[in-house]
Amino acid sequence: MIHFERTKLANGLTVIVHQDKTTPMVALDVCYNVGSRDEHPDRTGFAHLFEHLMFGGSKHIPTYDEALQKAGGDNNAYTSNDLTNYYLTLPKNNLETGFWLESDRMLELAFSKSSLEVQRSVVIEEFKQRTLNQPYGDTWALLRQLAYKVHPYQWPTIGREISHIEKATMQQVKDFFYSHYAPDNSVLVVTGDVEFDQVLTLAERWFGPIPNRNVKPRNLPKEPVQTELREQTVYRDVPNDTLYLAYHMCDRLDSSYYATDLISDVLSNGNSSRMYVNLVQKQKLFTELDAYLSGDFEPGLFVVSGKPSDGVSLETARDAINQELDRMKTELVSEYELEKVKNKVEANIVYGEMNYLTKAMNLATNEILGDAAMINSQVDCYRAVTSEQIQHVARQLFRPENCSVLNYIAKK
Amino acid sequence: MINRSIPPTVNPIEHIDIIQANKRLLSNGLPVYYLNAGSQDVVKVDIVFEAGTWFQPQNLIASMCNSMLECGSENYTAEEIAEKFDYYGAYIQLEVDQNQGFVNLVSLSKYLPEVLAVVENMIKRSVFPEHELEVLIAKNKQKFLFENEKVRTLCQKKYTQVLFGNDHPYAITNTLEDFDRFTREDLLQFYKSYYSSANCHIIVAGKVDEPVLELINNCFGGTDWNHEVLQSPEYSICPNPVKRHFVEKANGIQSAVRVGKFWVPKSHPDYHALSILLTIFGGYFGSRLMANIREEKGYTYGIGSYLLSLKEASYLIIPTEVGNEFVEPTIKEIEFEMRCLQNELVPEDELETVKSYLLGEFLRDFDGPFALASSFKSINDFGLDYSFYDKYLQVLRQITPAELLQLAKKYLNPEDCYTVVAGSAQ
Repeated sequence: MIHFERTKLANGLTVIVHQDKTTPMVALDVCYNVGSRDEHPDRTGFAHLFEHLMFGGSKHIPTYDEALQKAGGDNNAYTSNDLTNYYLTLPKNNLETGFWLESDRMLELAFSKSSLEVQRSVVIEEFKQRTLNQPYGDTWALLRQLAYKVHPYQWPTIGREISHIEKATMQQVKDFFYSHYAPDNSVLVVTGDVEFDQVLTLAERWFGPIPNRNVKPRNLPKEPVQTELREQTVYRDVPNDTLYLAYHMCDRLDSSYYATDLISDVLSNGNSSRMYVNLVQKQKLFTELDAYLSGDFEPGLFVVSGKPSDGVSLETARDAINQELDRMKTELVSEYELEKVKNKVEANIVYGEMNYLTKAMNLATNEILGDAAMINSQVDCYRAVTSEQIQHVARQLFRPENCSVLNYIAKK
Repeated sequence: MINRSIPPTVNPIEHIDIIQANKRLLSNGLPVYYLNAGSQDVVKVDIVFEAGTWFQPQNLIASMCNSMLECGSENYTAEEIAEKFDYYGAYIQLEVDQNQGFVNLVSLSKYLPEVLAVVENMIKRSVFPEHELEVLIAKNKQKFLFENEKVRTLCQKKYTQVLFGNDHPYAITNTLEDFDRFTREDLLQFYKSYYSSANCHIIVAGKVDEPVLELINNCFGGTDWNHEVLQSPEYSICPNPVKRHFVEKANGIQSAVRVGKFWVPKSHPDYHALSILLTIFGGYFGSRLMANIREEKGYTYGIGSYLLSLKEASYLIIPTEVGNEFVEPTIKEIEFEMRCLQNELVPEDELETVKSYLLGEFLRDFDGPFALASSFKSINDFGLDYSFYDKYLQVLRQITPAELLQLAKKYLNPEDCYTVVAGSAQ
């Protein structure tokens, strides 16, 4: 259970505070409700490029990192399809430095030309390092493009192609900032040995004067229901064939979400999971086999990916996976097995609550999703899932017409 | 109106609380180090054996032997072992490094008795079933091929070979053929020779109370697993006389670069001051290497300098991945930054920034049970005690630009460095 207090400033900024007296540090997390789903299809990778620019100096502070390091701080950030999250940690007596830094870059960036040029090339090198020069590095780009025809989840956060990043202009950077970076489109979370009133005073002082920017509510096209199996085969310079099956699943707030997550656990979480025991250990059909959720807020993907053992064809591999998926539809998961995956979820939640920074990040992302309090109700939500629900959801999910297949074949 | 151009006052870190590890011997003499810390009912138990790659008679034996520990014991099949861990939400991590083999467990306190019973049997009565070994080998072969596609893997392997010579265990020389060169009996032999109570210590962190320590004594304090331990082999380091090396990997658009040299051990009087020098050079986001090569030139997504302290040797490594066209400019800039530190005093302001940053890092290193355990390990493995950290703080608070300049002159000569490039950019 994570106790927290929450309030909203007049300019729309949500402030959340969780007290943890066991650490000498504080964490400050500013999460913006903007991700790669908010990009124009011809300017993909922009939200992530922007994350880099957020470190290129703000209106009154030329170098973010140096100022933070002088106070003993450390920081990082990430961009997903759904949001962009910035977080820092500081010794608790230097908390105000964090407020100064984060509020200034929410107020206004320096928009320096040289920063744009350098970060553009850094991101291009990152693009190469993560996708082009990595075995299987383009998997997600291919899979998303196959599964989504309309929704912006069709491109990965790093972007669809390098040229989009090459062409980004300063005007686009400015427009992006003022339409998405705003108190009314973000959440501020502070965790550590702090008092709510102390944080509120600092928040009013530093973030209070930033104007509300009337951020427009998001209006994204809905992905039409998939009506037939999609299949793509690519040949790449990789050591082994790999098979990917992606099924459309519910959104993160749907009541079926918890059952969906538990299905992936029954299938592949841990060495006692069904697919691992049956297909990796016993039948030796795969050397690697996983089932997982893409983790998106809006309707996402339930993915099964596997590397067949030497001499096992992709057809045999696919049949074996389908047999396991069919079992989820035809047989009820036993009480014991359900208890096992729920225990594991619950233990993971306890492990996650050990660290003040993890707690800050979870509070922030849950608040962007809808309500920070969800981190405290999730155990009950998982506990309430029944075998019948799992079966029901599996029947909805594992239909051929709901599936996109990617055959990723090693060039011989 | 607040004046945003004036930063809030930065307060110095005055008080640093370090929870130190306590030591206790089990009934059989096995040392247990424990750290009672944290608010969650969680325990981490690290069972450590002097059974790293240093001791293996041929490639892969140490890691394969270690991995096989969860693949079946007298009381449990591989599946039953996995079943128990999953049911109780516990995590077991099996790992080897150059000197040690680890069985690391994280568990909720309330399930520790059930989980530890399984770990006990895995460690004391492992049976190495043939079928599971075949599965493990197939899995690791594919992983090997996958890793070997990456320029950074190829570069790191070559770098360790250049430094230590191919016959030294700190050189990574694994090949695909190595997977067919050992038998189940080789693994059993290694297991019997090194996974013994006489070759083991345990580090426990988290909610550690008297019942937890008793439980550990009940599981591991007996004389029923005290086999004779083989003597440690000896090796000598044979550095390659050539400083520049290249590994070909066709068709890549980026190359991996490693620059570095041997370094002083943790016990050396210059160690602490040098670790501050290395932070300035490449040890944090605002470091010279990052500021120049990433933030000014944009050649790479990331570059830094890392120190690898091993039991028998230490080395510095500057790893990066850059577009093929940036390989030579990057190497030039690394050299340039070394010479800068040798020729010009580090500005006071920069040194102050680094000192503050490192003090913050120091606080993080002792925050929470897992961090405490890790900081303890990094002295205990080298026969050092907590005065190591007192000394560090003292050096950190007192070091001057002039001392750093002298150290750079002595230790950061580009001429002493090895450079390895892997990719298609010769």
